[in-house]
Amino acid sequence: MRFHRISACLLVGIVPLASHPVLAQSAAPQSAPDLVIKNATVMTASHGTLEHGAVWVHAGKIAAVAAQGASTGAPSSALVVDATGKWLTPGIVDPHSHSALSSDVNEATSPVTPSMMMIDAFDNRDKALYLALAGGVTTELLLHGSANMIGGQAVVIKNKFGLSRDAMLFPNAPRSIKFASGENPKRVYGSRNQLPSTRMGNFEVMRQSFENAKSYMAGWDAYNAKVAKGDKTATAPKVDLKLEALADVLRGKLYVQIHCYRADEFLTEEAIAHEYGYKIRAFHHALEMYKVAGQIAPENTAIATFSDWWGYKDEAWDAIPWNAVMSMRKGVRVALKSDSNDHIRRLNSEAGKMVRYGGATEDEAIRMVTLNPAWIIGVDDRVGSIDVGKDADLVVWNVDPLSTYARAEKVYIDGDLFFDSSAAGFGTPHFTGVMHDGGGFGSDDETAEDGD
Amino acid sequence: MKTTAMVTSLLLTAAIVVSAQNKPVTPTLKSTSAAITGGKLLTVSHGVIENGTLLIVDGKIAAVGAAGKVTVPKDAIVVDARGLTVYPGLIDPDSTLGLTEVGSDQNSNDLAEPSDEIMPHMHVADAFHAETELIPVARLNGVTNAVVAPGTDDSVAGQDIFIQLAGANRDAMILGRDVALAMNFGAEQRRRGGRGGGKSEFPSTRMGLITQLRQSLLDAQHYEATRNTPDKKTEDKPGEKGEKADKGEKPFERDLKLEALLPYLHGERPVVVGLYEGYDVETFMRVAAEFHLKVILNHVTRSQEILDEIAAWKVPVIVGPIYEMPRANERFDAVYSLPAELAKRGVKIAISSAEAGGPGGAHSVRNLPYAAGFAAAYGLPYEDALKAITLNVAEMFGFGDKLGSLDVGKTANIVLANGDPLDVRTEVKQVYIDGVVQPMVSRQTRLRDEYSK
Repeated sequence: MRFHRISACLLVGIVPLASHPVLAQSAAPQSAPDLVIKNATVMTASHGTLEHGAVWVHAGKIAAVAAQGASTGAPSSALVVDATGKWLTPGIVDPHSHSALSSDVNEATSPVTPSMMMIDAFDNRDKALYLALAGGVTTELLLHGSANMIGGQAVVIKNKFGLSRDAMLFPNAPRSIKFASGENPKRVYGSRNQLPSTRMGNFEVMRQSFENAKSYMAGWDAYNAKVAKGDKTATAPKVDLKLEALADVLRGKLYVQIHCYRADEFLTEEAIAHEYGYKIRAFHHALEMYKVAGQIAPENTAIATFSDWWGYKDEAWDAIPWNAVMSMRKGVRVALKSDSNDHIRRLNSEAGKMVRYGGATEDEAIRMVTLNPAWIIGVDDRVGSIDVGKDADLVVWNVDPLSTYARAEKVYIDGDLFFDSSAAGFGTPHFTGVMHDGGGFGSDDETAEDGD
Repeated sequence: MKTTAMVTSLLLTAAIVVSAQNKPVTPTLKSTSAAITGGKLLTVSHGVIENGTLLIVDGKIAAVGAAGKVTVPKDAIVVDARGLTVYPGLIDPDSTLGLTEVGSDQNSNDLAEPSDEIMPHMHVADAFHAETELIPVARLNGVTNAVVAPGTDDSVAGQDIFIQLAGANRDAMILGRDVALAMNFGAEQRRRGGRGGGKSEFPSTRMGLITQLRQSLLDAQHYEATRNTPDKKTEDKPGEKGEKADKGEKPFERDLKLEALLPYLHGERPVVVGLYEGYDVETFMRVAAEFHLKVILNHVTRSQEILDEIAAWKVPVIVGPIYEMPRANERFDAVYSLPAELAKRGVKIAISSAEAGGPGGAHSVRNLPYAAGFAAAYGLPYEDALKAITLNVAEMFGFGDKLGSLDVGKTANIVLANGDPLDVRTEVKQVYIDGVVQPMVSRQTRLRDEYSK
């Protein structure tokens, strides 16, 4: 299978760092092997809240979760943190961030740029990472912007601020690709009198791209068939990074994350996905999902939405703060996301707003910023809840994290302490150097970021 | 369960008021009295009254006190507020309500007049769109009053209005015209500079901006002197031809731009100046001292090193956005702790709904209480946090005798909520403005209800 060898080569070229065993090893915890956080109000995100609960961390993983009075079984040598009166949650997961991308969010020179790799712009010393860490954020999906119908491929990080760039990559995380729709692509290219300048143009650009990918795949299939038959004269088609990335969408190898606002566009996107045979992992922004949630729920497409942003553009005019809970009640998996270097610092209280707007339970609200975004990224088997066997990404809060008054006091990633608000200076045990000021606001909806 | 039952009864009361008046669109409690009983009253001015009674008569607060201490007239409508928190309507000191509708749609924006940096003759009252869909959205979360200021493009951006978020029409909603002069000084306003391929016109630097400002203030002083001594006006018009100068009867020609600066040069009204960096604050305050301006500082989010100086100037400060990003290599809470640090030094502070970058502005006015709560999370005493979005704002803008606290004689702008008003989980249940029950409806609740069927 010559093709597959080439494909593997490409994978090494494109996403080598996340899957490289040596690098994965370097991301392993460096702290004492055993840690117990006890007497906390433990919001597990998966199985309710335990009063006076305890969590045992062994070798960077959660080894036990114990209710009041029960023993964790941790050895007596374990470091014990008494969290009496404090709350403990899984690390906050942001499924839509443009932090630390050196302001290189949009390759807005063509509406189809699927071979752009966000890792190539990732600056691990950007202050935005530190500020997010101080807000309890431990995992981020760093996405391409929304200028293009088909943007680039995301990078998933663990927010181990102070470690090397490669050590911050989430080991073996699934690959995601960013699509967009609606106003941004049509404005960016329409303002240059290029295709697309309408929603008709937007979707036709997508369809044409997948037609191109199909014929590219057919070319390789024909070639591989010849090789399989022993044809020595067969010539390999050219490897085209752009078409290869689109082919990976059609092969189901990329999670498709779509920036999309309007109800009609969710339906069109799902129809195109059916036509070409791929799945949409999540709609991002998704401010009108409440209008069609019943139709989208069976597709198993999640949403990553804002708590209460609205009115900043026409396609955000029908946004309502009840969107998240109304969509959830119709069976859609709902996450909240920042799309902002500011809001990423307080996603916990953004989740708290969902208690007020539609009556989410505290369990449901905390899931919107932990387990559900982890599912969108495809790492919910490893992070997003306090369960035995999961990575020990944990946050100690002074009060209920869903309240306005919550402050992250300690943030652990893989069992290692990466932020401690009581420590002097930055409060970052692993960072003592000079941070970079990435500039920009960190949103793909900032006009300047759309490539105008 | 208990709360739900009480809320129901409260809403029923509101409904009764509506039907009794037979005015479904603008239900009114005016010319009648209502007693809000059993709630936890956050008076702002004189502490908390658990199980208090607040009496509204003719749109004003007629009595406030503990249950049993307030005589409720027989004909008063009684609103059962047990389990609810009762507090004065919130006041946003820095919004653009009524100057924008859809952020990216320029046709719906009347924010700034960027043809010149010195635009004191721009009156927000002339653009204020009272019917904006943004006002009900903000009102539903307990914001009853706001300062509306122009965008920040200009050094002297124009004159603010002070509004009430309900009223029969635009004029009824504008409680004060030209209540303050909005100014800005910093990197943003030097837009004509060479940076990023600009036009390289004056002023392209901070030196240029401040010189231009001083010259404008001097011109205004000169204009006033000339206006007040009309006989000399001809010699003060250089460049005019002799034959014009001969016509001594020529009526005095008003200069609206310079005239607009005079109330501020007289210290009659405050200038609200947007500044971030400490050195910009110091530069501006030198000019303010020279011209005896009555200053309210806005933002100061990067002025941590001069907080003692700010306290010594004895000027009030609209601090924030508290969400402004710290500089690289500053501690994460460098801005979060600013309100507490200023209050600790005795500075009178207000907090606005402004957000750091991104979508927000007028659309996020409803989040005003959370900014104050966030300041409390980082050390600002709770009472000061509440004051920073009520009484302090009223006092800064000349409405201290009418608004901002639960005190007898003040306008009955009252909010009932099911918990701590500064907590994101709290839901506002009823808003009264001028004693009038506000329908808890906005374009957003209508969409919610339409798609909940």
